[in-house]
Amino acid sequence: MFSMRFQLLPQACLLLLTCFVAWAVGSSAPAGERAADFFSRHDSGSGHTNNWAVLVCASRYWFNYRHMANALGMYRTVKRLGIPDSNIILMLADDVACNARNKFAGSVYAEAGRHLDLYGENIEVDYRGYEVTVENFIRLLTGRVDPSMPRSKRLLTDDHSNIFVYMTGHGGNEFLKFQDQEEISAFDIADAFEQMWQKKRYNEILFMIDTCQANTMYSQIYSPNILATGSSQIEENSYSYENDNDIGVSVIDSYTHYVLKFMEGINKTSQASMQDLFDSYDPVKIYSHPGIRSDLFRRPLDKTLITDFFGGIAQAEAFPLQDIVGSSNHHENDPTPPTSQKPDTPSVPVVLSPTVVSLPRLTGETHAWDNRWKEVRKWTSIFVVGCLVSWVSFVR
Amino acid sequence: MRRASVWIFLAYLCTPSFALYRKEIYKEDLRIQSLRDGQVSTTFSFVTVLEGAGPRNPKALGQRDESQHYALFPLTLGQILREYAITELHLTLNAGKWNYDNWGHPHEAGVGTGAELWAWMGASEVTTVDERWSGLRNALSGLFCASLGSLDSRRTLSPTVAFPLSGSTPTFSPHELRHASLPSENVCTENLTPFLKLLPCKSHAGLATLLNPQKVFDADWHGMGVHVIWKEDTGIELKLSLQTVFNPVRTSAGKRRDWNLQSLFDRSIERSCPVASSSSITVILPEGKDHKITPENPSYMDGLAIYDLSSSSNFTIPSNIAMYWPSEHSFQYRKSLSVPLPPLTPITPLSVKRTIHGTTQTRGVLSVSVTNNSPQEISVGYLEMMPALITMWMHTLKVEINSQIRSDLLSELKYHPPSPQSNDRFSPSMLQAVLTIPPKTTLKISMEVNKAFLKYTEHPPDAMRGWDLPGAVFFPLSQLSHNTSSSYDWERIYTPTLLVDLPTPDFSMPYNVIILSCTLMTLIFGSIFNLLTRKWVVMEIQE
Repeated sequence: MFSMRFQLLPQACLLLLTCFVAWAVGSSAPAGERAADFFSRHDSGSGHTNNWAVLVCASRYWFNYRHMANALGMYRTVKRLGIPDSNIILMLADDVACNARNKFAGSVYAEAGRHLDLYGENIEVDYRGYEVTVENFIRLLTGRVDPSMPRSKRLLTDDHSNIFVYMTGHGGNEFLKFQDQEEISAFDIADAFEQMWQKKRYNEILFMIDTCQANTMYSQIYSPNILATGSSQIEENSYSYENDNDIGVSVIDSYTHYVLKFMEGINKTSQASMQDLFDSYDPVKIYSHPGIRSDLFRRPLDKTLITDFFGGIAQAEAFPLQDIVGSSNHHENDPTPPTSQKPDTPSVPVVLSPTVVSLPRLTGETHAWDNRWKEVRKWTSIFVVGCLVSWVSFVR
Repeated sequence: MRRASVWIFLAYLCTPSFALYRKEIYKEDLRIQSLRDGQVSTTFSFVTVLEGAGPRNPKALGQRDESQHYALFPLTLGQILREYAITELHLTLNAGKWNYDNWGHPHEAGVGTGAELWAWMGASEVTTVDERWSGLRNALSGLFCASLGSLDSRRTLSPTVAFPLSGSTPTFSPHELRHASLPSENVCTENLTPFLKLLPCKSHAGLATLLNPQKVFDADWHGMGVHVIWKEDTGIELKLSLQTVFNPVRTSAGKRRDWNLQSLFDRSIERSCPVASSSSITVILPEGKDHKITPENPSYMDGLAIYDLSSSSNFTIPSNIAMYWPSEHSFQYRKSLSVPLPPLTPITPLSVKRTIHGTTQTRGVLSVSVTNNSPQEISVGYLEMMPALITMWMHTLKVEINSQIRSDLLSELKYHPPSPQSNDRFSPSMLQAVLTIPPKTTLKISMEVNKAFLKYTEHPPDAMRGWDLPGAVFFPLSQLSHNTSSSYDWERIYTPTLLVDLPTPDFSMPYNVIILSCTLMTLIFGSIFNLLTRKWVVMEIQE
């Protein structure tokens, strides 16, 4: 009987081991929840970890200078708010800065006094000239590009990316004209976004379009988590804002001009919401009725920050386990890591956003206890496995 | 068994990784020259030498490469060169027309308008030269923000005589050349930004701080070049060059040809690049004594004034190098109020011109004229790389001097017609010949050409503009001897590009046809349907 028990013993130990492993795995589920909680703590719950921007100017020729200036104004805005060049895809269908007709070589201006040069010295245009086609745009969005396409021309997004897609050019009822030769329709864009959703290529998209009858372009989108806004309704034109007499053509479109003016007041740490941007739309000044489509967007607009789409800063925060509730306001610009009482917690520089009203002490202590428990479990399981292995080898 | 594994483990820990740390040298130089028509040519050259390095053997392409560690050599470009096993690479992005007659030969010979890319690669069975050429084009287009991806088989040729290997030839496999050009390419700040990022000091220190895009792209001619050459005794040399020809007469208030660094570039050099082993500004002094140059104390060396900007010299930085003509009021180039002046002799011994003329949209005549300005006879090579849009008829090729046919002056004629490539495309046609031009004469070559009729989907969006044809290239015949009859050393002469109008269809016709036929079908079907099925019935209307 005793020998029979011994024969059964390896199987029993194996059973015990699997039960142990299952329990260990099952109790680590809160780790996933804690990661999600960490990422969503200080943003408005969008759950994004990186930002991308796709800025398309689809018109060619000198007299469409304003479309180039529109796209470049958005480029400078997203760059200023933190999205790096590697995450921006800029498509300009023509070159106006170094055009022979441009009196101010190497510069593109968006207002009549020519105070601010949008081209600058540090610019990367990913698709230029004849490369701006409907096929390249849809391939870029869906990721179905030729293997020879270089990295800087690909949209390398994942399911935690927020993408800002801006398109400008000449358009009409559910179409946008690319380079006076071909058109992209609202259905094409809707299908491209749906492919992106199926392939988990975005977390949320802000689709902004400035053309004539722009609101029709987003009317056919059917994928979730897309917020869309356009410059004019059906049967309405979008107008340019002003001319510059030395450049000789219109330099900016009305809708984009007012959006950029609103963006001038936004910086990287701004807490302004998308609802503020949409409230600033004034159909009288813009000479057309901008539209908003938010039925596919799951978050409330007044809780959605502008920097969720236009900015590129991910807010990271690490908690040293001391009482920092009272001193959170002093730590705003503190580069040195605060001393921690628990030696095994890694001390990293603390970056706090100015409006943190959190309870770091409670959650910090909870974290420490969780860590402790994890350590205990880890060592216990290693000990048990070690015992089993040594016992088996001893028996053999 | 366990002991052996322990020893192996310890041995692995102790083995250092044999990564090669090569010595790298970085030199920068700026040459400024006042040209005779009042313009100022500036040539920046930034040279990084990776000593002892060699190109990758293309037969080893499938295997893991040795690790590359660079301190000054740009990693992005180095990775591209290793990935495609490139031995020699030349990329130029130019805008404008180089005026050889007044400006002479440029310091960097590649002045063809638009983008020109050529590379020498070793043959290999692992990946073919064409596959690596395609990968190289796309990688460089991503690196330099230029649309080089369109330099595909429609624009690629192998003119090995005109574009030989400038450096040493590796022995591991026979090398092939791929050359392509895109004359309609625009050059702007987005090409300059990655160019500057390849430099060790970027645009923060050294000569590269002068590169102000608003001034550089306002110049009458500007071009940037990337040249990678392997020299067996030194190693891999990367030369980044930027040439511009400014026009101070146009941009200055008083129409003077005086220049200084501040007026040319609107920038000043604040710091010298600490990793540069030599950093200097060389001013090529014009002839005559009526000019003045400040600061006063450069080192002179046969017609050159050299300012040493490296940190070891005692030259004070920031400084503004200026040249001015104190006795001149405003510069008049060849303007005389009384007598018409005879034309000035061109600086270069050869002057070239090229046109396409003709009145119809299907045919034309391509005419190239070469003038020999020197008192000796000159033999040059002539290369024409024509896209398949233009068909050159060889049986109409004529060589004339003053309307007198001189077929003896054209020899060694080689012509490759356009060959069909994959996906229904045609490679360019290549015409190569040796021309012998007697002293002080103009040789005219002409041939009839046909213009292609393209399918309506093959036209670019701005089809009414026409197509750009790359310039013809004249190259010296004996590349080896430097003491030929010509007393100067030149690499290539490019003719200006041409714009040719191809017959364009009426692009609105597909729409018209669809609308018209749909309307007709609707009317016909609707009428017949109504005739057959509509019944008229009397109805009573209740009041």
